Amino acid sequence: MSLVTELILNADSEARYPAPKEIRIFQDFVKTGEQRIRIAKVLAENEQRIVQNGSARFWERCPNTPSNSGNERKTASCQRDQGWYVRLIAYSILAGSERPLEEIGTVGIKEMYNNLEIPIRNIAECMRCLKEEAMSLMSEEDAAEVAPYFDLIIHSLS
Amino acid sequence: MTDRTNGGSPVTHPQHFHTVPSTVITEAERRDRYPKQSEFKELSAFFTSGLKRLEIATVLANNADVIVAAGANRIFTGGSPMAYLEKPEDPVGMPGSGYYVGEDFLSAKARQKGGPSNALQEPRLVEPVNAFLDRIRTLFSSGRPSTPTRFRTIDIRKYGTVRMKRSMRDLAWFLRYITYAVVAGDTSIIRINVRGLRGVIPEDVTLATVVALQDMQWRAGLCFSQDPAAAALVKGYFEVLITEYLVEKPNHQLRFGVSKLHPGLPLPQSYAQSALPTPKLVVKPGLSETETQDAIRAAYRQVFERDITHAYGLALEDLESKLRSGQFSMKEFIRHLGKSRLYRREFYEPFTISRVIELASRHFLGRGLSCLEEFQTYFEVISEGGLPALVDALVNSQEYADYFGEETVPYLRGLGLEAQECRNWGPQLDLFKYSASTRKLPQFITTFARAQKPLPNQHPYGVGHDPLEIQFGAIFPREDQNPVAQPAHFSATSRRILISSGLHNGHHVLGQNGTVPLGRVPGTFGQSVLKLEPSHQPQGHQAQGPNLNVNHHSIEAVILATYRQVFGRDVFDSQRQGIAETKLKGGQITLREFVRQLARSRPFRQMAWENLYITKSIEYIHRRLLGRPTLGRDELNRYYDLAGKQGFYAVVDAMVDGPEYTEVFGDDTVPYERYLTPRGYALRSPQGPVAWWKPRKNPDIAGAWMANYATVTEAKRLALATTEASHSMESTNNNSPAARAESRLNVAIASPPEPAPMPSEAPQAQPLETSTTEDSLP
Repeated sequence: MSLVTELILNADSEARYPAPKEIRIFQDFVKTGEQRIRIAKVLAENEQRIVQNGSARFWERCPNTPSNSGNERKTASCQRDQGWYVRLIAYSILAGSERPLEEIGTVGIKEMYNNLEIPIRNIAECMRCLKEEAMSLMSEEDAAEVAPYFDLIIHSLS
Repeated sequence: MTDRTNGGSPVTHPQHFHTVPSTVITEAERRDRYPKQSEFKELSAFFTSGLKRLEIATVLANNADVIVAAGANRIFTGGSPMAYLEKPEDPVGMPGSGYYVGEDFLSAKARQKGGPSNALQEPRLVEPVNAFLDRIRTLFSSGRPSTPTRFRTIDIRKYGTVRMKRSMRDLAWFLRYITYAVVAGDTSIIRINVRGLRGVIPEDVTLATVVALQDMQWRAGLCFSQDPAAAALVKGYFEVLITEYLVEKPNHQLRFGVSKLHPGLPLPQSYAQSALPTPKLVVKPGLSETETQDAIRAAYRQVFERDITHAYGLALEDLESKLRSGQFSMKEFIRHLGKSRLYRREFYEPFTISRVIELASRHFLGRGLSCLEEFQTYFEVISEGGLPALVDALVNSQEYADYFGEETVPYLRGLGLEAQECRNWGPQLDLFKYSASTRKLPQFITTFARAQKPLPNQHPYGVGHDPLEIQFGAIFPREDQNPVAQPAHFSATSRRILISSGLHNGHHVLGQNGTVPLGRVPGTFGQSVLKLEPSHQPQGHQAQGPNLNVNHHSIEAVILATYRQVFGRDVFDSQRQGIAETKLKGGQITLREFVRQLARSRPFRQMAWENLYITKSIEYIHRRLLGRPTLGRDELNRYYDLAGKQGFYAVVDAMVDGPEYTEVFGDDTVPYERYLTPRGYALRSPQGPVAWWKPRKNPDIAGAWMANYATVTEAKRLALATTEASHSMESTNNNSPAARAESRLNVAIASPPEPAPMPSEAPQAQPLETSTTEDSLP
């Protein structure tokens, strides 16, 4: 589920010690460790803010949507799900691999929202807003690290 | 009882072992929260120590041979044990090694020269001299572990080559796993793989193995003589290894069945260990506030699948306070959650009864329904007493009492925690996902119901994965984007992409009995097929037009083409069926009979029947004799029946005597391929499958690419017609057997007589397009 796991599984399937290339990947992973933890902490501390501001931005662009329909329960559960995705992204960043996000979150995401009768396009737009909001909280370098994971969600919604 | 179907096989990635990041993430995900401060610290330590650990692993890998030799030399006498250690043949060329052959084509020498300095060298065999020096050197080092008194060394000659090889492989394996554990920063990989191994390795060797391991531990420590911290770390990992090795082999975990019909399932311990220990949350008097709070949150998550405190606020405060005050046990709390207004609104009202039962079994028992009988029991309960009765039945069940008792919060009993059943595998994995509560369709009951029916019309080879062109242009959703668990439905009327010869100006004319129009060999007008003409037989000579049948070798050409079609290649002389050939030449048998004789021959039976499994075999023979793949389950089932009851010859006869053969090929046409897809054609193109993905040389569609070649073919055919010097012409640009034979040898072409096109007109005369044929689909 993390980069380290994948590396070991790869090496083991060929019955060898980790190869130079894999070692370089692992070195990069370890060197960016502090950055990863920093990003995860930013996401953890600012989840509410990202979700609130992101929602506001989303409603501006897309006023006609279930979470903006005035039904408080719908708003609350939509925002809960948004926070959930932000958290999954934090996991993925810590693991250095998109596997956690994919396995827990994005496989079947489209069917889920179709079943809930929420327009897919709105969800994708919402994720874009969250992405912008999250990236605005970070330095450029950190933002570049986060962006691909949001893109993965958006991509799996398209 | 056997199950004939399962509920699909969704992709799973069971966790084989844990690393620090994966532990933290799994734990946080299970509790539905961000990593805690302490966990962040743990991760931070993992990252900061990462380079150091990598260094240690590198040193271990570099010294692998020395370390293994130290262990082996201690327990084996009378030879060189290292000679029995086998290595992968070319470790450098392996993918991921950094020198994968696909990445560059440097020579072995250049690769060694250009290697980065920090590269892990693959361990080489220890040279005898060095090994000897090493032994001398280490002889005087202190701290060498003493051997137990019962230990006797093993004589290599008596021990035998096979066992020697295995022993050496195992010793090297132990060291390799220690290296992995060092990289992972977690001992779980050792624990999971080594625990109870002494039960597997012969008992008399156990003691010797431990002695060898201790020697390896000591020798590995010597590699870090400058660095006591690293030495201690490696020593620690060896300790774990030896301790785990000596533990008794643990028993299988048992899961009890739900009825007499469905007995329990054993789960090997190694699987159970590879999951993280489930934190079993309990609520009992005397717990701290945060622990109780944790348990309550977990209970909400289990019953409502979501964190409801955020969305629904105070709805359940009353129940919660009763739990805190000790008025309710956890079991009662769960029961009341199930009977609450909120549960009814979330999980009862929006769903059909079948789905309500499935979801309730997840919430209160932590698993999906196990079998149809179980479903029926609960269905009866809910139809008589409604939702409250169902909740009572589940919470009062013996299973609930066994697993969760009064105090424990129910949890999901998923992969790794418990043996999973095959018959509800797919639905069960789906049920544990976040999206389960949005899925309205009942899954278990439909799966169980399917088990009673014959298999549906789906392709035996599965979903959209078609590397070998078996589904013949059928269009399936891409498998890697939204993987589905069930094979796609697939029948004769499925949409396909086939090559069109362009004769109909883009409009397809349905075949004679309403079938899909078939793909044609491109580069030809209509269907170019070889036909056994009466003119080939001694009586009627030279009956047709001047440019088609002048060659007296034509009968030989037909025979060769038949071999090529039936066997898929030219056969060896010894495989030719002389008698049948003579009969054909003499006019005693028809060409259809000749095809049958070839298909019934010994070489064909060996090739297409004896070594293949039955589905593959039928597919193969069908493609060869009828020129198309089977079109679905119906057709296959008939052949299965024949093959099972009457065997190979009956299958061949059924194909050759069938109405389709008569209609398409008749008595005197050589069978030819009737289903050709662009991809299949590109796979066989002169550039090979490479052409398929090479964008530079290959146009967007294979048809355009073939149009180029068609021009050449036309020019050659023109040359054929005019010069008649045709024998030596080798047409290499069209690999389809029929087309190849056609341009090489002069035989009748069973298509309307064509005007000889001017070379310049050829491309226009043959507009090739790829089109989608569609039959009855809307």
